[in-house]
This record gives sequence, structure tokens and C-alpha cells, in this order.
Amino acid sequence: MRRLALVGASLLIAAAAVAFPKLVQKAGDEAAGSGRAHPAEFADANGLPRAPRPAFTVGPPALLDSRESHARFAPVVRPVKARALPHPDSAPVALLTRETEEETTNIVLVLGEPRSRRGGTWVHVRLPVLPNDRTAWVPRSALGGFQFVHTHLVVDLTRFMATLFRRGRPVFRTAVGVGQTAWPTPKGEFYIRDKVSDFDDPFYGPIAFGTSARSAVLTDWPGGGFVGIHGTNQPELIPGRISHGCIRMRNDDIVRLSRLMPVGTPLTIR
Amino acid sequence: MTAEQPSGAEPFESTVDGLARTLAEVDADGALHETAAAAFPGTRAAFLRRSVAAAVAGVGGLFTAESAEAADAAMTKNDIAILRFDLVLEYLQAGLYTEVERLGALTPKTLGWARVVGAHERAHVAALKGLLGRNIVPSPTFNYGNVSSNERAFIRTAVGFEDLTAALLKWQAPRLDSRSIVAAAVSLHSVETRHAAWIRHLIGLRPAANAFDKPASQQRMARLIASTNFIASRPRLASRTRPRLTG
Repeated sequence: MRRLALVGASLLIAAAAVAFPKLVQKAGDEAAGSGRAHPAEFADANGLPRAPRPAFTVGPPALLDSRESHARFAPVVRPVKARALPHPDSAPVALLTRETEEETTNIVLVLGEPRSRRGGTWVHVRLPVLPNDRTAWVPRSALGGFQFVHTHLVVDLTRFMATLFRRGRPVFRTAVGVGQTAWPTPKGEFYIRDKVSDFDDPFYGPIAFGTSARSAVLTDWPGGGFVGIHGTNQPELIPGRISHGCIRMRNDDIVRLSRLMPVGTPLTIR
Repeated sequence: MTAEQPSGAEPFESTVDGLARTLAEVDADGALHETAAAAFPGTRAAFLRRSVAAAVAGVGGLFTAESAEAADAAMTKNDIAILRFDLVLEYLQAGLYTEVERLGALTPKTLGWARVVGAHERAHVAALKGLLGRNIVPSPTFNYGNVSSNERAFIRTAVGFEDLTAALLKWQAPRLDSRSIVAAAVSLHSVETRHAAWIRHLIGLRPAANAFDKPASQQRMARLIASTNFIASRPRLASRTRPRLTG
């Protein structure tokens, strides 16, 4: 059956190939009204000036990879109550401010599709609050534009190892120091909130990333006890359980990581 | 749609002034202002000059000196200004369609359109950046709000953008100095008209409503962009404050 269809299609194409030039010729002859094979206007086209070479040519369109892995985040553009459910009457879970403790724009990691319903569109977000791993809903209008990242940082507390993945492939791996037993680094799903540099404090090394993870123990720490990823002035202690909950790495490693990892990158601590 | 007639005698400066007035009226946080300023170098307005310098300085290292010099030699200031405007517009469209595809919240038919057209717009961005060399304007930050996840809002926006982009390129073509850029621009123009016809067909509008299309000016396009509030302030994601992390 399939073979028959193929033969039929081939015959049709062959017939069209034979018939098409004749149809064109006939149309040309009729248009000229003189029985000539080529109207004079066609011949005149040869005398037109040459077209300039186009200043640019557009390359082939590149479709997005349907298997593309990405995460997205959005800035908080106005103070807003995050709620347990996508409804204005739902119980508030946390108040989101516009700025972080480091005076950067407060961002949230966006989960799943926005949900539109009467009263507006709601977005499911991961929150930078205690208890860790908390998610809630905020009105779409309280957030700025979505920004997409293709990276994911995984910190393994047992192996003292941090690995950065880009589009699913490891692109960076290094040994880390993590929280001591009294001040454990929290486990869970988080995200990179901001990046701080040029602050002249050797304890944190040259660069520090703020994360949405918070110490469940050091809640009265200035700034609220946020866990960071940063350099150190004691590289000889790495790897090991050495910190107050932050993830420390050697200074050249944090510099390298800062070139590879954008703010908004999801962070898994396990 | 009330598109304006082209006027070959209209000086480019009046276009800039018109856009500046439009922006002053509608651009609350100044973000669109900055973007438009970067798209119009060498104008009389001081605020435009400042932003242009910053934009060009910020992207100066992205292209080789050879390609930049070649581009500079081939293009007039007027052509660069028009192409920079187009680049911003292509960023805007490519960003919207890419976000729509990534969110995947629309119907399969609309998503299929956005997937193909988004790839085209990204190719247009790459082509314009290649031509502009060191004169490129960096992409603004966009906030498409719920347009990227709301079928009705998205289609309305897409029809508006595609119709007006085709009309804008018609307005710009006779204003370009370089014939080689005109030759390239018409290859963009026909694709934009196909996009417009396609999305119109998808929602049951007549794909080709008139025997002749009217052009639409850059001012008109700037007004449309401003009315969407899609261009947003860039979030501050880095600082130099001493960290207060647990350590």
C-alpha cells in the first residue's frame, strides 16, 4: 500500500515537471499577445543595474532544544505577601521585600507554569525563608521579568564536593568546607540570590554568593543567618566540616566559579 | 491601524525629537529611555548622548576591530541608528517568543507559531549584531508580565508586533543610505510580513487585508513598545557590600 502511494506520488511529480514549463510558456505567450516565446519586457530586464551585495544575510533559524534544561527566576518588584495557595484570601506564608541584606534586588526562583485565574495570574516560587525548602504563591504583578539560567550547583555534604552543571553537564568541580556539627549546612533545594565582591574582608575571600538557604541554628546572625558560598583565608582547612554553615572553597575556585555561575542558579545541598 | 505616510523630506532629527517626547510621556522608570537613547546616537539631546556612550562602551569588546571597522566604513550614522532601533525590536520579539516557548503555557497551535517565529527572530538578532559590530546596543531587560502565559494577551501582542514591524521596515527602507543594507533589509521585511499573515490566519483575521500596506514610523513603534511596559529596569544582582553570611 505504502509502495503504491509512493509510485503514485512519483508519477504526479513527473507529470507536473513536464506540464509546468508548458503552462508558463503559454501564459507568457498570451500575456505578450504576439505569439513570441519571450515578451520584450523580459529581455529588457537584462539591462537593469546589478543589485548590490546584501550587507548581511540571516543565518538559519535555530530552534530551541526541546530537551533544554533551564530554571528561571524573577526579581521582586514590590513588597508582597507570599501565600500558601494562588488566591488573595489564602494564608500568608512570608513577606517578600524588594531588597536583600546585601542591598541587591531580592529574587525568587520560579517553579512550574504561572496559573491564571479570576483575579490575576499567580506564580509558584521558592522562598528564601525558614523553614528551608519552603514554596508559596505570589501574584505575577509583584515580580519583574523572568530570567533563564541553564546551570545547577550541587553540593555534596558527605563528599565535601561542589559540582556545577551547565545544560546537564558538569563544568566545574571542587572540594569544599561545610558547616560544623553544631552549625550544620542545611540540606534541600535552594538558589543563588546574589553575588558580592570587592568587600575587603579576607575571611570571605574575594567573592561571596548569597543563597536562599538559611541556618536553622544561627537565626540571630546579622542579616538573618543566610548561608553563602565564598572564598576563605584558611584554604588549608578544605575539605572538611569547618564553617558556621556556609560553603567555603579556595579563592581561585570561587573566582573560577563566579565566571561560570550566574545569579539565579538552582542549588541542591544534599 | 493608522500608519503614517513616508516622507522622504522628514529629517532624522525630528524622528529623534518625536521619540524623546513620547518617551518622556510614557516611560516612568526611565528604562525605555535608556534603550531608545542607545538606539539613537549622535542626537542633540544630552540624555540620549550619555546613554549611548555607556551602551557602546559596554559592548565594545564583543567584536573584532576588523569587523567593526568594516561595518563603520560601510554604514552612515543614519543607517546605524535605524539598525540599532531594529536590533532592540528584534531583542524584544525574540525574548517574548523564546519565553513563551520555555513556559509552554499556551495552546499547541500558538506554541508552534512561537517556536518557529522565535527561531527566526533570534536569527535576525544575530544578523543585526554581526552587521553592527561595535555599534550594537545591548539587550535591555524585559518583563513580559502575564503576556507570555496568557493566550489571548499573547496573540494580541504578537499580531500588533508583527504587523507593525512589517510596516516599520517599510518606513525605514527609503530612509536607509546604503543600498546594500536595503537589499538585506528587504529579506527581513518579507519574513516579518509572513509572520504577520501567519498569526493573523491562526486567529481567523484576514492575513492580507489590503492591496497596499502603509508604513509605520519609528515613533509609532516606540509608542507601541512603551505602551506594553515590556522594557524593565535591570535587577541589581551584585553588590560590594560586606557580606553578612554565616561564614
